[in-house]
Amino acid sequence: MLVNTYSRRIFSLSYQFSGTREEAEDMTQEIFLKLYNSLKKFDFSRNFDAWLLTLARNHLIDEYRRTKWEKKTRDEFDEYRLKETTELGPEDAILREETKKRVWEGFNHLSADIRMAVILRDIQGKTYEEVAEIMDLPLGTVKSRVNRGRVQLAKVLKEQKEKENGM
Amino acid sequence: MECEHIENLLSSYLEDELAAEDKRAVEKHLASCAGCSVLFDLLRETQESLAEFPQAEISEALLERLYEIPQRKRKFRLNLDFLVRPAVQPYLAVATVLLTVVSFYLFNPEKSAIDRSINRQIHLGYSKIGKLYSEAETFTASLGEHKDNILETIKSKQPFGRNGD
Repeated sequence: MLVNTYSRRIFSLSYQFSGTREEAEDMTQEIFLKLYNSLKKFDFSRNFDAWLLTLARNHLIDEYRRTKWEKKTRDEFDEYRLKETTELGPEDAILREETKKRVWEGFNHLSADIRMAVILRDIQGKTYEEVAEIMDLPLGTVKSRVNRGRVQLAKVLKEQKEKENGM
Repeated sequence: MECEHIENLLSSYLEDELAAEDKRAVEKHLASCAGCSVLFDLLRETQESLAEFPQAEISEALLERLYEIPQRKRKFRLNLDFLVRPAVQPYLAVATVLLTVVSFYLFNPEKSAIDRSINRQIHLGYSKIGKLYSEAETFTASLGEHKDNILETIKSKQPFGRNGD
């Protein structure tokens, strides 16, 4: 069943993109409504996962532009259930969690298209080719957007570290 | 300027996708530029932490709402199914004719002429009824005048069968 197979993935994407559970729940519901309405149009020669992610990506970016989520604050990172990082020692685990928290908050500094490219590539673990198909963009553009997103997030981390060190 | 160019290559360098010449240029720059070197370390840290972001947990309430979507769509479809039942067809036919007549009247460019014609017919009907009513009154009055004569005539007549006694 579609809900069993895809709901968690779509909800995660919506949550990572919007940053709040409330928005993510609304978006997931709207994406599934669109999915059921568009199923008849699905071309069976296409990859269903990529097709669904394209539908989700279009909806999320359209809503982002319509409602300007970037002005809203994201949920506290503590609310995001972390995967256990058992391979790290307690000190490293704390530092890594701190970095994740900053990166999570740093997403608000990224534009919609760059944010989506980074989420698909680095969190959802898609290949550049898959991201290009989902976002309907040339491969070079996707690589450039992912790099820009990572650099922007790294700069956010740098600024915060400098502030903490009193520089 | 060089820092900006190197920034554009950092992800490709991290993922080992650069041509040998570009790779050497990045390595050379990172060895001599402290700012870019720090940025590269943070970029790697960013990418590693992003890879460890888990899938978010979905709430039971949302799952239930998602399961309900196809059922709601089906219910809506069933609600309209009664329209294709054979028993409903005569009513639909009558409704169609009525709608056609009403829309012919409402959207007719000669609507005011039709209104005038209907008014004229109604007035004609009223005047015919009035005429009939006055004729009936005249007839009743004339009956009243001749009432005594009529009664006398009836009384003077022998009931049927007495003449023969």
